[in-house]
Amino acid sequence: MTRQDFFIKWGVYTLALLPVWFCEVYLLNRFPLFGVSPMLLPLAAIAVAVLEGTVAGAGFGLGVGILCDAVYYNPDGAMTVGLCLLGFGAGALAQYVLRQNLVGCLLCSLLALVCIDAVRILTRLLAGTAPLPAMLSLAGREIGWSMVFVFPVYALFLWVFHRVPKKTVL
Amino acid sequence: MKDFFRRNGLLILIAAILLALVTAVVSMLLGGKANPVANFVNFITTPVRNGISAVTNWAEERYSDAFELEQMKTQLEELKQENAELESKIREAEAALQENERLYNLLELTPKDKQFTKEAAMVTARSTSNWESTLTLSKGANQGIEVDDCVVDEYWNLVGVVAEVGENWCMVRTLIDANTEMGGQLSRTGGAAILEGDLGLMGEGKLKLTYLPENSQLMSGDLVTTSGRGGVYPSGLVAGHVEEVRTDVSGMTDYAVIIPETDLDSLQQVFVIKDFTIVE
Repeated sequence: MTRQDFFIKWGVYTLALLPVWFCEVYLLNRFPLFGVSPMLLPLAAIAVAVLEGTVAGAGFGLGVGILCDAVYYNPDGAMTVGLCLLGFGAGALAQYVLRQNLVGCLLCSLLALVCIDAVRILTRLLAGTAPLPAMLSLAGREIGWSMVFVFPVYALFLWVFHRVPKKTVL
Repeated sequence: MKDFFRRNGLLILIAAILLALVTAVVSMLLGGKANPVANFVNFITTPVRNGISAVTNWAEERYSDAFELEQMKTQLEELKQENAELESKIREAEAALQENERLYNLLELTPKDKQFTKEAAMVTARSTSNWESTLTLSKGANQGIEVDDCVVDEYWNLVGVVAEVGENWCMVRTLIDANTEMGGQLSRTGGAAILEGDLGLMGEGKLKLTYLPENSQLMSGDLVTTSGRGGVYPSGLVAGHVEEVRTDVSGMTDYAVIIPETDLDSLQQVFVIKDFTIVE
């Protein structure tokens, strides 16, 4: 793949990320269900990782993580490193253990969301700022509602995947 | 896995860790001012946010016009009745005010005075995370807004406190956010307590009042205002009213569940209190 192909490919992935970002930050948070709105940006990172593998997953996760830290309140850099690691992990899982398909994406997304909320719960538990049952309830609702969106997010990035050059050389 | 390390994977991981460290350190050093990346992203997306906010507000208004007409008619009747009662109370209060002024003059006391410097702003976005309750406003450091400025609605009900400031935007931590903590005062009894956000109550759009005064006989509907103790936030801003009193999990202390007076879900315009002078 030429350098130009490389930039076109990741440019298209970035463009595909825009509607996901738009929906999460400006649309779906206005209409919460069970008191929560879904997390879409991590799902986008996982979908690309499942389709493209470890290196691309970590790279795209890094980019999405920077975006998350920019748009979420109180940035501490955790999403930057977290999504990079999750992208790498999801890519490895899909490549070597699961399959690079919707089922693989569903399992990796579930694991990723559980990891993200586990870190949130642990930090709050250590700080003693919130009771565990309330946090578990919130995390459960958030993960459940977010999982519904794995289907459209995966479909979007699968559509992009079929239209961009396949082999990534960084 | 070897493939990952051979193909620059390690470099990506190192870059992620370095970037995360830089973000964390910069955020910590700036203390409430938005970090450069957040500032840039929010700066360039401000027109988009404003546009979306305008379209959503327009759609909500059309929906209200179409489907909530009957409810609004009933509300109008109730408000007319309330208005008549309030007008009668105002007439009584005017006489009391004049008497109060005469007594102040007689005793040579300084009358109570409240002066506020406000900045109107539009709500352009809402929380992007379920773990916080925030609002993004259309004004920022360019308009003199600073961290810890109080935000109120058009009826002087407390909305929250400015937590992060960018060039032309700011992020407000609403009063139901789990990190909110400020002095509260019960209007009826005058007792002081602490207004605290709670993660469990945040989803229901409520907060709690803790450290209740001893033997406080709270009643459902009791009004809670900011106490102004500490001088950071002005006193007398209406936070909400008591819904019920509950006992915490330890069974040792009571707290009151507070319903905010402001409707956080439908806020369109708010006012940031940039400066205030209160003579008690």
